[in-house]
Amino acid sequence: MRRTLAQSLALYATVIFTLVMILFPVYWLLVTALSTTDELYRLPPTFWPDDPQWDVFARVWAAKPILLWLWNSMLAAVGSVALSMLVSVSAGYALSRYSMRGGATMGLFVLTAKMLPATLLVIPLFSIFSSFGLIGSLWTLVLAHSTMIIPFATWMLKGYFDTIPKELEQAAMVDGCSPIGAMVRVVLPIATPGLAATALYAFVLSWADYAYARTFLVNSPDNWTANLGITTMQGEYVTYWNDIAAASVFIALPIIAIYLFLERYLVGGLTAGAEK
Amino acid sequence: MTDTVQAGRRKFFDLARPSRQHLLGYILIAPAVLMVAAIIVWPLILAIDLSFQQVKIPRLGGASRPFSVSNYVWLFSSQEFWLACWVTLKLVIVVTAGSVAVGLSTALLVNNRFEGRTVARLGMALPWAVPEIIAVVIFAWMFDTSFGLFGWLAIKLGFTGQMIPWVSSSTAAFWAVAITMVWKGFPFVSIMCLAGLQSIPSDYYAAAKVDGASSFQRFRWITMPLLMPVLGVTLVLTLLWVFRDFSIIKVLTGGGPLRSTQTLSIMTYDQAFQYHNFGRAAAVGVLTLVICIIASLLMLGRRSKSIY
Repeated sequence: MRRTLAQSLALYATVIFTLVMILFPVYWLLVTALSTTDELYRLPPTFWPDDPQWDVFARVWAAKPILLWLWNSMLAAVGSVALSMLVSVSAGYALSRYSMRGGATMGLFVLTAKMLPATLLVIPLFSIFSSFGLIGSLWTLVLAHSTMIIPFATWMLKGYFDTIPKELEQAAMVDGCSPIGAMVRVVLPIATPGLAATALYAFVLSWADYAYARTFLVNSPDNWTANLGITTMQGEYVTYWNDIAAASVFIALPIIAIYLFLERYLVGGLTAGAEK
Repeated sequence: MTDTVQAGRRKFFDLARPSRQHLLGYILIAPAVLMVAAIIVWPLILAIDLSFQQVKIPRLGGASRPFSVSNYVWLFSSQEFWLACWVTLKLVIVVTAGSVAVGLSTALLVNNRFEGRTVARLGMALPWAVPEIIAVVIFAWMFDTSFGLFGWLAIKLGFTGQMIPWVSSSTAAFWAVAITMVWKGFPFVSIMCLAGLQSIPSDYYAAAKVDGASSFQRFRWITMPLLMPVLGVTLVLTLLWVFRDFSIIKVLTGGGPLRSTQTLSIMTYDQAFQYHNFGRAAAVGVLTLVICIIASLLMLGRRSKSIY
């Protein structure tokens, strides 16, 4: 379809206008971080600071245990993703390859688990973790995040395994492979992109959690995750918006980087179920 | 005799045998089932059980209180619950409508072929990658009562004479939450719709063009019907997200002022961890889950399978 010059210009103008509108909040976060406090508390607002305070990042990094928060978020995410993938890969494979009694029930269950509000599940989990003396430990997050990850990961992986022809394993088994060997040596290598997509998406889910971290870890500052840590910077009387904005940049950066470089995988995960 | 028994035993564990293969299936699925039973099903049963007990702070293994429906009675007769239902309904409608409107239009926009389209597509869905808490930090500052950008803009554009009290005015707080949620929620709709749009064969459009269909007719009679299944699923997933969201509302307004932004989700959490009424909290949570299930089954009907 050929466009006239006027149509092209209109299209580009619309795209650029929309992009500016959508990305403005992210730009504003950066401007806020780089402004002095005086500039922030002044109207009209300055759309680019007169004297950008680049040292705000070093200052906040030194003043707040941001590295520790990021590290805790990373531990919780890696732990829950590893645990969930371990059980989800084999479950997804089983659901894809073997017709089992209760397969349909499993589907219905995944649906229900997807609707389960975290604010409901957090209540019994709190009692359970208290009685095991786990409150304050990062293990609570590993388990709690697994409740979000396992149902969707199992179903997503089943979808990926479904796209791999059964004949491949049958050929491997004719050549003397055991069923497990065929799964590990033939199917899993082919499914690597699917596994990566699922794991990445699960990682983002875990990284975004706030409800569980707030409930289980609020009294253990050493185990605060990035999201929990940053909310504690919001003061009761005075909030230093430039400091919070600078810390936010550190915390958003890992996920934004994953998104920019691995978007193809993430989107594959998001849309996996919808196109069928 | 022993020989045959042993042979039989060996065969029993020979998982490559076709008649034993379903056994392997059960073995492979067992760890997931056990995990799910321990961290989802059991807690869910505990929560349902809690909702039928008059209990403040439950202790696991302690004697459970007698069965009582008092939590539900309290709920249905309290104004707070009905207000939370109303707030949730308003927010779900506004945010879902906003997200679908912005998401669908951005998807249609980047579905055009143009130079730099990949970058535009990445940029338009970027808010999806911004963690909810960080989105709240940005918007909380933009909605600041004294020096926020939005208040200043509203004055500049002539909507109002003075800064808007986003925190203390019920209406303003509701819209602050809604706008933040739309910004965070529309990229998902956009990503899904774009995937749906790209799966529509271009032959359809070419054929319609030969037949002289206008661009509006092509949109109305090709794009919309073929996009409907994806859009339906996306709509329900967005709706469920708004229904259950905790972090955006909790950090932005805390459910206030005067509970004007307190959704069922926030009410569940606060009943448990602020007022230490775990029984009541569980009752609100269980009802939220029931409403979610009924709403999505009603909306998706027979297509509900596609939501997994």
